[in-house]
Amino acid sequence: MANLLQPDLLALVRDPIDQAALIQHVRAAEDGAVVTFDGTVRNHSHGRRTLYLDYEAYESMALGKIREIAAQIHEKFPIHLVAIAHRLGRLEIGETSVFIAVSSAHRPAAFDACRFAIDTLKGTVPIWKKEYFEDGAVWADGEMPPAPVETRAAKPASQ
Amino acid sequence: MALTAQAMARYTSAGYNSLVSLSSQTARIKVLFFGRLKEIVGHAEDSVEVPDGAPIEALFSHYGSSHPELALFRASLVASRNQEFAAWSTPLHSGDEVAFLPPVSGG
Repeated sequence: MANLLQPDLLALVRDPIDQAALIQHVRAAEDGAVVTFDGTVRNHSHGRRTLYLDYEAYESMALGKIREIAAQIHEKFPIHLVAIAHRLGRLEIGETSVFIAVSSAHRPAAFDACRFAIDTLKGTVPIWKKEYFEDGAVWADGEMPPAPVETRAAKPASQ
Repeated sequence: MALTAQAMARYTSAGYNSLVSLSSQTARIKVLFFGRLKEIVGHAEDSVEVPDGAPIEALFSHYGSSHPELALFRASLVASRNQEFAAWSTPLHSGDEVAFLPPVSGG
């Protein structure tokens, strides 16, 4: 369960992510482990040299989905606290786009929860990145979030 | 088959693929576009009136008919209603916020 006095730290930010602050936020005397994931901007994509990335989000929904992820990992794994920050706007090569820190009494839960958090974030949180190359820009290939079951057959949009 | 086509035509004219309101009640919907969809439509946000209870699919068709390129992405989109992923058949009511979301690529 999350500590109500010091709850999880979940944020969308435009400035560089303060990793030390996130780690500090989750670590406590009763924890034996803090596992972190540092997602960084790669300098290539599909064999092309990337110049920079630009992230945008459906901010209210994205924060809601990140909160759901935090709730899910508290339910699934015996962890103490989680901090998740995703950056938006223009990011240069090597910068951190997403940072996750998870604390727990014993390391397996923190490893498992951190892995679950980043995998779920990449598949369900409405954030998009545009990749800028020397000769143009493209929206990155993404993952289709799991769609709710249709209550009746949906028709494709008519042309 | 002919009956089905006729029924479909009536259904269409009754508002499934059109936002022309035949019902007395309308619902004002806030519509959001993200990523490449925003570029196609030309703006991030819109406000439209639909017949109360119209499905999200009808709202998308409304934009797809004025932006044919948008319709091409229908199979690779997910819709949301009030910040939750929603089926295309979800009925809309006044004050709802709908977004059309391309595959997500955060992280």
